Amino acid sequence: MGNRPALALLALCALAMLLASCFDAAPLRWLGGLSAATFPVALIALGAARGGRIGGLRWPLVLLWIVLAGSWIVLLALPHGGPDAGALPLGTALMLFVMVPAPFAIVCWAYASRFDLSEEDLERIRRLGRHDQGEE
Amino acid sequence: MPLLDRPWIVASALVYLAVNLGIGLWALRRTRSPRDFWVAGQGLGVLVAGLVTMASAFSGFVFLGGPGLTYRIGLTSLFINLSIGFTSGLLGWSVAKRLRLLAEVREVYTIPDAVLCRFRSRTASGTAAVAILIGTVGYLGTQLLALGRLLEAVLGLRDLLGAWSLPVGVGLGLAVLLFYSVAGGMVAGVYTDVFQGALMILAACLVFGYAMDAGGGLGTIAASIAGSERFGRPFLEPFGSTPALTAIGFYFVFGIGVLGQPHMLHKFFMLRDPRRLRWLPLTLGGAQILCLLIWFGVGIAVPALVAQGRLPALEQPDDAAPMFLLHFTPDAVTGLAIAGILAAIMSTADSFMNIGSAVLVRDLPRAFGRKVNDELLWGRIATVAVTLAAAGLAFVYDDLIALLGTFSFGTLGAALAPALAVGLNWKRVTAAAATASIATGAGLNLILEFLAKQTLFPALPKPPLPPGALPTAVSLAASFAMLLAVTWWTGRREERIDADVLAVMET
Repeated sequence: MGNRPALALLALCALAMLLASCFDAAPLRWLGGLSAATFPVALIALGAARGGRIGGLRWPLVLLWIVLAGSWIVLLALPHGGPDAGALPLGTALMLFVMVPAPFAIVCWAYASRFDLSEEDLERIRRLGRHDQGEE
Repeated sequence: MPLLDRPWIVASALVYLAVNLGIGLWALRRTRSPRDFWVAGQGLGVLVAGLVTMASAFSGFVFLGGPGLTYRIGLTSLFINLSIGFTSGLLGWSVAKRLRLLAEVREVYTIPDAVLCRFRSRTASGTAAVAILIGTVGYLGTQLLALGRLLEAVLGLRDLLGAWSLPVGVGLGLAVLLFYSVAGGMVAGVYTDVFQGALMILAACLVFGYAMDAGGGLGTIAASIAGSERFGRPFLEPFGSTPALTAIGFYFVFGIGVLGQPHMLHKFFMLRDPRRLRWLPLTLGGAQILCLLIWFGVGIAVPALVAQGRLPALEQPDDAAPMFLLHFTPDAVTGLAIAGILAAIMSTADSFMNIGSAVLVRDLPRAFGRKVNDELLWGRIATVAVTLAAAGLAFVYDDLIALLGTFSFGTLGAALAPALAVGLNWKRVTAAAATASIATGAGLNLILEFLAKQTLFPALPKPPLPPGALPTAVSLAASFAMLLAVTWWTGRREERIDADVLAVMET
């Protein structure tokens, strides 16, 4: 995924969220849940893309989307939160023990391991900044 | 039991206020330039940046309102927090690096500065400044009132001063806030935030431990709630007594709206070395998760204690945290927690005092093509002015300001998130699209939220939304749609972007 697919997803998710928030219908709830899960992934892809491509971040983002969208699908599919899993309804256990820690682990690991900002990059940017300010 | 009878609590509040004054004095000597005043001299490490961003993001709502909301609507309230699993990474990828690198090449101290650099449009920058000013008045007014009410209760001012107790409570809190924010600007703001953030995490973890222990562990807590008539199993279910649409809206608004919160984004300008951003999601997200333990812990323990008959049913849901602290924690922990709540309120307030003064002294004049000469002096004066104005408005129009405070997060998110998160990462976004999106997000959110929540004018209609729909979710989605649609309409020919800004966007 790169710029174009990320932007297309963003546009679709924004419209889907508008529809889901403005009209009361069961299918739109599914659309809203999936949009809420897809929105952050599309924004991350847009922010991480270089030259229109996200390169090695593709699989971490796919994994993140599976965790977020899968959790929403389970939550919306289970009536009354589903059967008990330990002390809590299954859906609530999923909220507490999957929907926070799993995305956190994925984004922390993916961000730290793919972060690329070298001293050369910084120097190039600073040089351009000095040049532009000199022009002014 | 009156808090005044508990010397530990009064002492910890007074010690807390004294430490903040001390940090203000220390920072006074280190604030010599506008760069020090607005962005703390760009000298923060990544651990400190994570801590101060968390401290300014989490207001007293996390400690008081959150557990109260859980008591009222059950665990559906946790959808507000579930997005913290990804928000710190989203901030890192979408905006943090871009904003910090902009501050590397330009004199960028504020979000409207960044908008001006990116879009070369004073209209877009000025519209962002106006949206921030509206959000600031709401946020700051409600934080100051909450601060006054807490000090009023902790110091027993009501018995001593009667009707004057709230103004005196607000005045006392204001005096401390103004002293360190005016004297030390963001240097004081940041180092008080470090102290306040550490205090918040310590208090949250301790109170969480006491909450789990008091309720008999998670299993007993859940069983007590599920077996009670008052709460029952729906309290524990993801969408118990609340429409699924509300939960989806919470998740969307708090997950994506975070990209438009100036009090958080402002901290990214202050990082010493942009390469240290690598660890931002870990430090920021970790601090947030630890702090939110208090919301979950107290939020689930108090209904269990009510169900077990060990605590009377609450008259006001917002009493959940105070009732728990007064009845189930030792005085020393209660004192620490009260200091943590004061810290949460004050760390958010001081950020908005600085941001509000920057709007008046820097952002709005620049939007009109003017520049204030002595920014440091005028920044200090504007900090006093914006704070007193917010406090005054909060007293005179308390209902209106409280109302504005409840949707300030949404207003800022809907106004700024699309222009920043998409605009800083996609070259084709035009100044017209950014301006339209900011105006749509702020304007639509103000109108919809006001119509949904106001009781001042009974003749006004409610917004035409289904039950459970959040007006902010509508305005945030509409703001994104507006940005993309206007870009498509106006962006066939790319607008010129300065070479250094382009390099920032492409790095």
